[in-house]
Amino acid sequence: MRLPDSVTGSFLVVLGAAAAYGGWILPPVPGQPVGPNVFPLVIGSGLALCGLAIVFGIGHSFEEEEELIPLEDGQAAAPPPQGKLYGLRALLPPALLLFYVAAADRLGFIITAAIMVYVTSTALGAKWKLALPLAALSPFAIHLIFGKLLRVPLPAGLLPTPW
Amino acid sequence: MLKTLIEAFALISTWEVIIAMFAASVYGLVIGSLPGLSATMATALLVPVTFYLSPIAAIATIVAASSMAIFSGDIPGALLRIPGTPASAAYADEAYAMTRKGQAELALGAGVWFSAVGGIAGVLSLMILAPPLAEIALSFSTFEYFWLALLGLMCATLVARSSPVKAIAGMFLGLLVSCIGIENPGGVPRFTFGLTDLFGGIEPIPALVGVFAVAQVMRAMLTPEPPPLPRRKFGSIMAGQWRLTKLYHWQMTRGNIVGIIIGVLPGAGADMAAWVSYAMSKRFSKEPEKFGTGHVEGLVEAGASNNASIASGWVPSLLFGIPGDTIAAIAIGVLYMKGLNPGPTLFTEKASSMYAIYLMFIIANILMIPLGIAMIRVAAYILLAPRSTIMPIIMLCCAVGSFAIGNNMFGVVTVAAFGVIGYVMEANGYPVAAMVLGIVMGTMVEQAFVTSLIKSDGSILPFFERPVAAILAAMAIGALLWPVMVWVWRKVKPVQTAAATSR
Repeated sequence: MRLPDSVTGSFLVVLGAAAAYGGWILPPVPGQPVGPNVFPLVIGSGLALCGLAIVFGIGHSFEEEEELIPLEDGQAAAPPPQGKLYGLRALLPPALLLFYVAAADRLGFIITAAIMVYVTSTALGAKWKLALPLAALSPFAIHLIFGKLLRVPLPAGLLPTPW
Repeated sequence: MLKTLIEAFALISTWEVIIAMFAASVYGLVIGSLPGLSATMATALLVPVTFYLSPIAAIATIVAASSMAIFSGDIPGALLRIPGTPASAAYADEAYAMTRKGQAELALGAGVWFSAVGGIAGVLSLMILAPPLAEIALSFSTFEYFWLALLGLMCATLVARSSPVKAIAGMFLGLLVSCIGIENPGGVPRFTFGLTDLFGGIEPIPALVGVFAVAQVMRAMLTPEPPPLPRRKFGSIMAGQWRLTKLYHWQMTRGNIVGIIIGVLPGAGADMAAWVSYAMSKRFSKEPEKFGTGHVEGLVEAGASNNASIASGWVPSLLFGIPGDTIAAIAIGVLYMKGLNPGPTLFTEKASSMYAIYLMFIIANILMIPLGIAMIRVAAYILLAPRSTIMPIIMLCCAVGSFAIGNNMFGVVTVAAFGVIGYVMEANGYPVAAMVLGIVMGTMVEQAFVTSLIKSDGSILPFFERPVAAILAAMAIGALLWPVMVWVWRKVKPVQTAAATSR
């Protein structure tokens, strides 16, 4: 997800300008010169300025390249497989969280959590022999800690827990 | 004083506090030792649990978990050359070189011992610095608070190991996030886009969990699994540490002091302290050529430094609500939730709670020695756990924990969104710590700014009229201009050296 500075910078300019405009149109507090509109205006303008500076590459010389620890013999890791869709794997965790939001009330905590665990685990390279027991057991453990001990109202859904 | 101390003892000698502290210590040690799981993440995932504890027990868990995690990051650093937390990254190479020379015990022992010493030095600084600063802070008006907050934000951007412009942009992003909601001077819904969920604003805690935990799971999806730890038998771990203490007492003290100073600076935390101290140790060492070949001197100084910064990071947090580092930023959220609102009056009104915090820091650092030794011995087994079993559990904790904060699903959406934001920012060189500070401090900055503007009737002059305000303003503006000066210096210097060589 390494984007060129011109892209991220331009995005910040747009975002800053939108924030400044959004602040500008907020209704002022009657009888007071400064209200809720001042702060977003300042922040938005600042953000837009920073965005411009980034587009023009100001401050780029300060960036330190990430220090990668060189690999040694016997420690060499396999190069990560590269494909077009490989980068999209990073979006899996947030997607699973949204899936939790959408499904937890209907399916219940245990089932939703088991699906999340299984998918994450498999995506990180676990065989089904590891992922399946993990998906079967860990939701109960988490439910025990959060639902039972800490009394978080986790949705029961289709499969209520035995306690 | 004695009475408050006894009260503080009474506060912490309950079963709840003792069990919470012990459990959090073990938790911190385990999370810190796993590569890729940072101390900040350990603390953030702990927050939902603290809701259900008494205030002192809640703070105890944070104190214990963060101190332990910072030390235990040294373990995989020394054994695998993979730092467990970013705070150990500075000297992971050095520690690994020592392991290869057959001195793993010495390297890890130095980690435990000097971490504990550093932690206690940090607490002492907290005890000594905070009360007099509180006296001064009582006379602060909104002008001082505004400049102080701005100075804090600027420091956070200065110390980031990235482009200062990007750091400032990150800070603005955080401040912008804090604008969302109806908690503003006019009480009007701002940037809510008609969504009722946004009326209450973005809670800092789910945002932090997203930025530090979810983003880490996202990165794990794209990086290869770290190699397993080779089994080894350890000899005595504490042997020789006393000799090192005597030999390198000056380095240790310097590490402590640097750690304390960096901890107090807002936004700069343990990882920064370790980098600076390691560099300093090399710079002032009598035998700098030994650095990088498995020399313990740098480990002593940096290990003493990063743990000292943990406790001193609480100084600005407790006094002003300005976090000294990202862990303290989480702690502030918990303090507010538990009715211990940060501010100078905390030290007079809730003195016994403050003493309880000091005591807990000291106990945590003493506890670190036996628990740390035990952890080093079992680390080989814990590090056997593959990432594909740990990350799914982290995901579940993120989902349940963020739900528990307000018992609504919007928290989970926030976590997911900030996971993506944190991941994209990190990948493009925008420091997330600056954004986190912006989110945490946003409301306070705005309040101080708008109230000051109302008081001054739109004029800029009163911002500089009070002496303390003027000094803070000068420092904040100096911090803003610093990168510009460095840039000019770099432009001028090559010309000079070129002229010198041609002559």
